[in-house]
Amino acid sequence: MKSRPIKRWPDEEREAVALSAVDYRIIAKPNCSLSSKERLAVVVLIACFSLMIATGFVLAGAWLVLPFAGLEIMAIAAAFYYVNCHSRDYESITIEGDKLAIEKHSYKQTSEIVFNRYWARVLLRDLPGGDQALLLRSHGKEVEFGRHFMNNDQRLALAKQLQKRVGVIH
Amino acid sequence: MSYSATASHDEHHDHPTGMMRWLTTTNHKDIGTMYLTFSLIMFLVGGFMILCVRAELFQPGLQLVQPELFNQLIGVHALVMIFTALMPAATGFANWMLPLQIGAPDMALPRLNNWGFWLLPPAAILLTLPFTLAMFGIGDGAIATGWTFYTPLSVQGGLGVDFAIFSVHLLGISSVMGSINIIVTIFNMRAPGMTMMKLPMFAWGWLITAFLLIATIPVLAGAVTMLLTDRHFGTHFFDAAGGGDPILFQHLFWFFGHPEVYILLLPVWGFMPQILQTFSRKPMYGYKAQVYSLWAIGALSVVVWAHHFFTVGMPVPALLYFMYSTMAISVPLAVLFFCWIATIWRGSMSFETPMLFAVGWIILFGIGGLTGLVLADVAADAQYHHTYFVVAHFHYTLFAGGIMGIMAGVYYWLPKMTGHMYNEKLGKLHFWLTAIAFNLTFIPQFFLGLAGMPRRIPDYALQFTEFNQISTIAAFVLGLSQLLFVYNIISCARGGKKATDKVWEGAEGLEWTLPSPPPYHSFTEQPVVK
Repeated sequence: MKSRPIKRWPDEEREAVALSAVDYRIIAKPNCSLSSKERLAVVVLIACFSLMIATGFVLAGAWLVLPFAGLEIMAIAAAFYYVNCHSRDYESITIEGDKLAIEKHSYKQTSEIVFNRYWARVLLRDLPGGDQALLLRSHGKEVEFGRHFMNNDQRLALAKQLQKRVGVIH
Repeated sequence: MSYSATASHDEHHDHPTGMMRWLTTTNHKDIGTMYLTFSLIMFLVGGFMILCVRAELFQPGLQLVQPELFNQLIGVHALVMIFTALMPAATGFANWMLPLQIGAPDMALPRLNNWGFWLLPPAAILLTLPFTLAMFGIGDGAIATGWTFYTPLSVQGGLGVDFAIFSVHLLGISSVMGSINIIVTIFNMRAPGMTMMKLPMFAWGWLITAFLLIATIPVLAGAVTMLLTDRHFGTHFFDAAGGGDPILFQHLFWFFGHPEVYILLLPVWGFMPQILQTFSRKPMYGYKAQVYSLWAIGALSVVVWAHHFFTVGMPVPALLYFMYSTMAISVPLAVLFFCWIATIWRGSMSFETPMLFAVGWIILFGIGGLTGLVLADVAADAQYHHTYFVVAHFHYTLFAGGIMGIMAGVYYWLPKMTGHMYNEKLGKLHFWLTAIAFNLTFIPQFFLGLAGMPRRIPDYALQFTEFNQISTIAAFVLGLSQLLFVYNIISCARGGKKATDKVWEGAEGLEWTLPSPPPYHSFTEQPVVK
């Protein structure tokens, strides 16, 4: 079956592609303006600069500058490593035939839950502050979608989209 | 294949209210507000300290404070103003505005952001606590070496030096955390289409600031740790009798200290062109030239440190190198001045309070820059070093260039932050009182310095009396006029005329596309920059 796009979300965090007139897929992911190689280059650049300064002061007798520079470089590397680890995180909903699959990827962990499309229900739950959480439920299992990569308006719009395909909104 | 996945309430949305909101918040706007509030409080604390000093200097002889307390007030005033007023103010703006300006939903590392802020209050307490302890007979007061911690005085100093060392460590950690967050945010979270050469100037200013902090904070941390071990653990890094070198401390301190000046100023140089273009209703002149100049100044700032202690004794080639390299900074700085003036040249200018502060800032900061050139000259510096000329010079750069710039930023963005317009008449009154009182405080100090009055001395010769009296009266007017600023901010936060989304007719940038105040989560749609 040849896929064709039916919906492009204005938000580039998400990509929505319909696989057919009835099948549907949405991916929510963060915006990262730097590639992994570029992140590494930034860390190496900062580390070289900082170590060059620290080495100069070590040669002048102020060797205690070096451990602080080392700690700082480690902190910078850790920050970029953390960002890099989560740069490929995503959440997706795929509707194909009678299956509704929700997939979540965070760092190296991928979890997937598959519901029967015709039994699944779309829920909106009020949160403190006026926002709503988007939940999909079936057979006592419940999964939240759009927690990290979508804002409230986007979740509400997605809930309406899903309602047409899987059930009713409560 | 199916795995169980349970839904849980999203803690990011489930933000607490009341006190816990501020203690635990990871929202960039909340943290920005806390930084700015903290900065304002410490600005008043530091201002109170220096008014005590100016009161003592109203006439020759000792009237109000003893020399020991006088020295402590001067040193802690500087540390408070630099580390807990100016730097947090710039970081507050960064937290508030950088995500909005680059189209990011928040800072890259929100939890780190929260920790970075909450290190500041304990650091401020450590700085000022020795004053209170001394009242109960514990210790001999706060650090009395000036903000520079010069050895051997600081090695011999009392408990206040240890408090200041730990305070500086906390402030340094906070600064590094903030810098890492800003670097990661600017590099990694720009909106699609926002290439580096489309970054707002404020983001450029802060990016270079963050690099300077990363480069210099380990040197300061190393220096004060070596000072601590000299004081308590028998090392002799800075003790000539033990084979150490007290001048090494000066090199270490000013390797941090000189870039610190630009750390305080670069964020202001970033947002000031945005203010100028807004109220001139013209595009910013020379964007690329400004970016390259900011980089040039940042790079030069780490290779000129020894001009702060020409008189300590250096080989002639070293004196010449540091003199010429210092003077070289005036070239990119002149480019910036040219661009700022060209931005407003023949513009359709209006003079709301932010613009008044911005134009005043160009003139007064220009005086600070030009008097810096005088001090960069080795021969002239031999005469003016450690006089009130230096005090007046760096207040023209740091009060006019730094604090008045921050005030321009506050008036510029306050309606966006609060959703209300401030009182324009009160804002203009605040500007004129500040500008006039500031000049009346520090112009006499130029002449006092030229006449040879040394700094950091509570008593002086009779010939300096009149100019000191003018300076003191003006300093009190300057200090009291800041209460108008505080009142205006508080009343604006509590209510007032509703601000529009764009606020200013000529405003450009992503932050002005959001409602005033912006929603808790900034962008409802990911903006795309073309």
